Order: sequence, then structure tokens, then C-alpha cells
Amino acid sequence: MIISRSVAITLDGEAHQVPEAITIIQAMWHLGRSMEKNIGCLGGACGACVVVTRLPGQMLPHTALACQMMVAEGLNVSFLQGDPSQKALAPLPAESPSRETVFQYYPETKRCVACGACTTACPQKIDVMAGVREMMMGDLAVVAERFTTCVSCDLCAVVCESRIRPYRMGLYARRLAGAFHPQKPLQLLNRIEEIASDKFKAEWEDVMQVGKNV
Amino acid sequence: MNAFELSKQAVIDGREARKKGEMPRLSEDEKKALLSRYHPDLKEEAYTTIRIGVNKGQKTVHEVVRLLEGESPLAENPPDLTPKHQVDVLVIGGGGAGASAALMAQSAGSKVLMSTKLRLGDSNTVMAEGGMQVAISPEDSPVRHFLDTLKGGQMANDRTLLKTLVSEGPANAKWLMDLGVMFDREEDGNLSIRSGGGSSLPRLLRCKDYTGLELMRVLKDAVLNEDIEILEFSPVIEFLTDGNGTCTGAVLKDLDTDKRIVVQAKTVILATGGIGRLHIQGFPTSNHYGATGDGLVLSYRAGAELKFQDTFQYHPTGSIFPEAMAGLLVTEAIRSVGAQLLNVKGERFVYELETRDAVASAVIRECEEGRGVETPAGRKGVWLDMPLVDVLHGEGTLADHFPNMLRQFSRYDIDITKAPVLIYPTLHYQNGGVKIDVEGESTLKNLFVAGEASGGIHGRNRLMGNSLLDIVVYGRRAGVAAAKRASALGFCPLTLKHLEDFKTQKKAAGVVSETVSPILFPDYVNKG
Repeated sequence: MIISRSVAITLDGEAHQVPEAITIIQAMWHLGRSMEKNIGCLGGACGACVVVTRLPGQMLPHTALACQMMVAEGLNVSFLQGDPSQKALAPLPAESPSRETVFQYYPETKRCVACGACTTACPQKIDVMAGVREMMMGDLAVVAERFTTCVSCDLCAVVCESRIRPYRMGLYARRLAGAFHPQKPLQLLNRIEEIASDKFKAEWEDVMQVGKNV
Repeated sequence: MNAFELSKQAVIDGREARKKGEMPRLSEDEKKALLSRYHPDLKEEAYTTIRIGVNKGQKTVHEVVRLLEGESPLAENPPDLTPKHQVDVLVIGGGGAGASAALMAQSAGSKVLMSTKLRLGDSNTVMAEGGMQVAISPEDSPVRHFLDTLKGGQMANDRTLLKTLVSEGPANAKWLMDLGVMFDREEDGNLSIRSGGGSSLPRLLRCKDYTGLELMRVLKDAVLNEDIEILEFSPVIEFLTDGNGTCTGAVLKDLDTDKRIVVQAKTVILATGGIGRLHIQGFPTSNHYGATGDGLVLSYRAGAELKFQDTFQYHPTGSIFPEAMAGLLVTEAIRSVGAQLLNVKGERFVYELETRDAVASAVIRECEEGRGVETPAGRKGVWLDMPLVDVLHGEGTLADHFPNMLRQFSRYDIDITKAPVLIYPTLHYQNGGVKIDVEGESTLKNLFVAGEASGGIHGRNRLMGNSLLDIVVYGRRAGVAAAKRASALGFCPLTLKHLEDFKTQKKAAGVVSETVSPILFPDYVNKG
């Protein structure tokens, strides 16, 4: 067992010593914080623990997920609250969607000034701005693919000067692309049909008894 | 080079020679012997007898018994039970099962209130990587899915529940797709399927290695589109009953103010997930921060029966290095496309797609018998050789199909396309839970339970991909059934009488408890 050394970090402006090689979340526990907010899956998938960090000598802050980032000497950390905006009530349409369907609920998407802040902020390294620009071109499938790994941490919305909410827009584009996929999943549809017509009835009668009374 | 680096090099050097090798499958007898010797579920000293309640006389692990026999947080200071909310259906838990249930109950016309400990969507669902089992290929059938699951569950599964699970799988996949869930597809438009441990045919639907995240964000978005009130950061801390075996509401705790919130509900759906954060037998866990078994504890205290409360799933491949990643899941899907498990000498020791209980036991065996690899922090484990996937299927396969794995390890400067990683079983799932019938109702009337909190479907060991299916099929069923029941009911009295019954039982059994349960969060805070 190696006894770990400690590093100095600054949390919300206050200096602390914490063991090295632990995550920012683990450092919070070490510092006696029980953490009932800004915490979730602890596996980098829920987007609850967004932080803004800065290392000595860096002019600009970086954004990260606190459960996925290790502490380092001189690291400056502040937790961020997510995007407080109201989600647009954006139901799936009855007819095949177009880019206007997305703009109907997320019209601000068109205001993108291509500053790239969203892409810089994304802890999943999604080229968010490209996704926004692609939405303006109107190819839902391309936008959908772009946002595949989005954890809805909201950082792209928090940093956007034009008040675009790329993560919400991207998810809506994904839902549209999924629900209106141009190809039919024939095997799945056939199987649903077979089950509805009780095709497996005889097999079930045998199988429900398998391994019983032996 | 130290022993750790030498062993890693042996894995890398042996890769080419190993790539075509076959590993024999375990016979039924070999599997039985392996489990009985090494599976944590069969470690007698880890278990104790439950002394009170419906399952009195049965066993489970010390960590769970301690909570089942614990004191209610309301025992000392019962709140005024005037309800702040009156609803048709109260859904407790904001993961995949809760969201599915809420959507169905709401669309059936019920007034629905959701409460969650953290935020809507913070759950184990969001972390599920590998996929969802649905028998869609022409060679496959729901019957075959049933048999694989039954075998995997050590033949203990509730067959009625299981038959419904597999039979409704395809229609539920369609429901998800109609909501906008994007499963991976083949060129011809059919859904792409992959193998999982213990399955005789490939039947895992997936969205890369983000399947649970994809389901959850779509379900969450769908819930937010509806007129469903949501109380976040408001975990349940006690059920309310009519004092006569019927659930009539719940008491929530507002985490911001520590105030109690009394909810009167015609029916209640409990979907609070599992127990990973109890760290049973000292295991690390793959679970989210709130997985502290609250549902088990509260249902039991209110009089509901548990089923298979003594069996847990230790997922074979939890990361153990670097220390900051300890417990984090490495998806089973990566073994289904060829990643191999290797001991300290770089030798394979088990067929990688045995059921999870068997693979986990084999990993534990290697470590206990001195063939494990020690990490700098003192943990023991074995290698999972992921680069083999790119060797077998072409460069870029890992990057295309497992972006989540690639990113997680790259954050700690480990390139999974080049180097093997160290793994050891991680506490992943409670196989059992609150006993339910096919409508999802527990033995406590008007209390419905869905998802990991329920027990019976998976028997004594769950197969990969059956949990995502379970939360959708039974989440929806519970939503429909609870809404239907509520439509025919008025509000019933709110009492804490079950706490008195529990107290009487404890006194009679001589149980003295210093624990207040549910604990809501694990205690990781440094007291120094």
C-alpha cells in the first residue's frame, strides 16, 4: 500500500490539502462535504457534477465532470449549477419532421454566432458548435449522430452568449431522427406480429414446466 | 520493470498467439462447484437471519439486515400527516422504471407526482452500457430468451413474470423507438444485435455503449413534455398506510430544508433501484450515488414481502486501476466481441461469456489462489485485454462501438486500444427485491414496485441486458395498473401504524437497533 502524497487545491477561493490521485468528488468527501447536490452517477454519464477548473499559469478556466477529473497541485475548483431554463414543451410531430420542426421549439438555434464556446466547454468532447451549424443546414440524422454521447450536463447552454441550448436541441433532433427513421426494423415488426398471433403458444405450454418435478 | 508492468507486458506479448484460442465452456457440475466455492452469495459468514417482518427466519447479508431492522427516521418525531400533495399516483424514483411508469399512468388519465432523491434521470439506468435483450432474429424467439434467462437465474425465476418480460420485449422496444430511442441498426434497417453472457443467440439491442443513457434521456425528455409534477432532491423516508395492509401515501424529505413532505396517493409506484452503495461484503460498486436500498427497507417496514433478498450480482469486470476508477463498470459487451480475461501469467482461465456469477467467481478464484495482479493501492485483479477487439475486428472498432469506455480510461491516460486494464468483480445489482405479481403490485396493497427494487424476474442471477428490458416492461405495466386501480379509488387514511407494529415485533424479537434507515446516501465523508 502506497501512502499517497497530498496536493494543494483551491475550492471556491479557499485553500485545502487533499491526497493526490483522487477525483474532485473524492476530494470533497475528504474535506468533509457530504455532497447531496452536484453529484449523481459517479461514472461520467449523468452530467450532475460540472465544475470549472483552472491550473496555475492558465489564463482561461476549463470545464469538467468532477467525478471524472483528478485533483492536481494548484488546481482551482468551483462547482457550477446547471442551465436553469425551462425546457420547451416539444412533442413529437404527427408528420415527418424537418429542420423547421426543431426551430419551432428551439428558434434561438438560428442565432449561433459560431464563437465555439460550447465546443470548448463540452466534457464529452462533442463538437457542439458543429452540431448547431449542422442543424441550421437541416440534416437531422447528422445532428442526431453528433449528439450521441451527450450527457446533458448543460454546459453548452450555460456558456452560450446567444442563449442557445444545444443539448436540448440535439436531444430533440435525436428523438425526431429516431422516431421517424426512414427504414423499418422488419425483424422487430415481424416478431411483434408473431407474438400477437400467438405463434409460440404450443412451445410455451412445454416450456413453463421445464425443470419442474424432476 | 516491476511485477505489475511485467505482467502487463506478458499480456501484450501473448495477444497474437491467443487471438484464435478457444476456451472450453463450463459443464453444469463445474459451474456449480465454482460458484459454491467462490461466489460471494455463498459465503456463509457474510449472512445473517432476519429476525422480524414478513421474511423473518430467512437470511440476507449483514449490511441489508442492519437496515431492514433499523429505526424509522420518523420514530422519534412523527410529523403532522396533513397532506401537502394529493395525487392519484405517486411515483417514487426518477430512473428508467419510474419514468416509464409515470408516462403510462399520466397517459391513462391519472394525476401523477414524481419524487426523486437526486434529479430526474440520476439513476443506474443512465449508466447501463451493454444493451437490452429482445428476441428479434428469425432464429430466436421469446421462448428461447425465457430459457436462457431461466438457466442464468439458476432456475429460480418467477416464470409468470419472466414469460411476460420476454413476450412483451419486442413491443416495448417499439414503444421506445416511437419515443425516439435510436438503437444501432444494420444497413438493411434491422436492429443490430450482439451477444451477451449466458445467451444462446445474439439478442442485445444497443446504442453504442451508451444504451442506458440513450433510454434515460429520451424518457426524461418525454416526462418533461407532460403535465407531471416532479419533486427533485426529495427522497422517500417512510410509507404511509391505512394501518391495515394498504399503502396510502408516503413521507418525503426535502433535502434543502430537511422538512417533511406528506403525500397522499391512491396508489404508489416504488422504483428506487438497488443497493450498490451499501458495499456488501466490502465490494466496490458500479452503482450511482443514491443506490442505498431505500425501497427494500421501506417496503419491508410497511409489511411487503421480499423475494431473493439474499442474492446479489457482482459484475465480473469492474475497473480497479487507477484507484479513482475503482468499481466503475467495463461493459460485458466488450467480452462479447472478443476481449479476453487473463491472470498474472497472461493465461486465460474462463470462457468469457459464461453467466456473470460464473465469470465473477472465476476471477475471484484466480485472485485467491495467487494468480491475481496487485495494484499500487493494494487491490487484486486480473487483466481484461480490450485491444484484442481491434485485432479481431479491425482498427477503430473500439472507438466506433465503445466510445464511452475509450473516453473514461483516456481521462486517466490509459489507451484501451493498446493496453489491457485491471478488473475485479464490482457490486452491480440486487437480483431480488420486493415481491411483485405480474401487474407489478407488491403484497402491500396499492404499492406497486418496478425495476431493480422488485424481485423474482431474474431469479438468483440476472443476465446482461435483461435489466433495461425489465425497467421498461414492468415500469410501464406498473404505471398502467396503478392508474387503473387509482381510477376506482378514493383517498384512504394516512397513518404510521405500521411503525408501531414493527416496534412491537422488534421488542418481541429482542432487536435493538442504533441504525436509522433508509440511509439515503453512503457515508464517505472524512471525519478526521
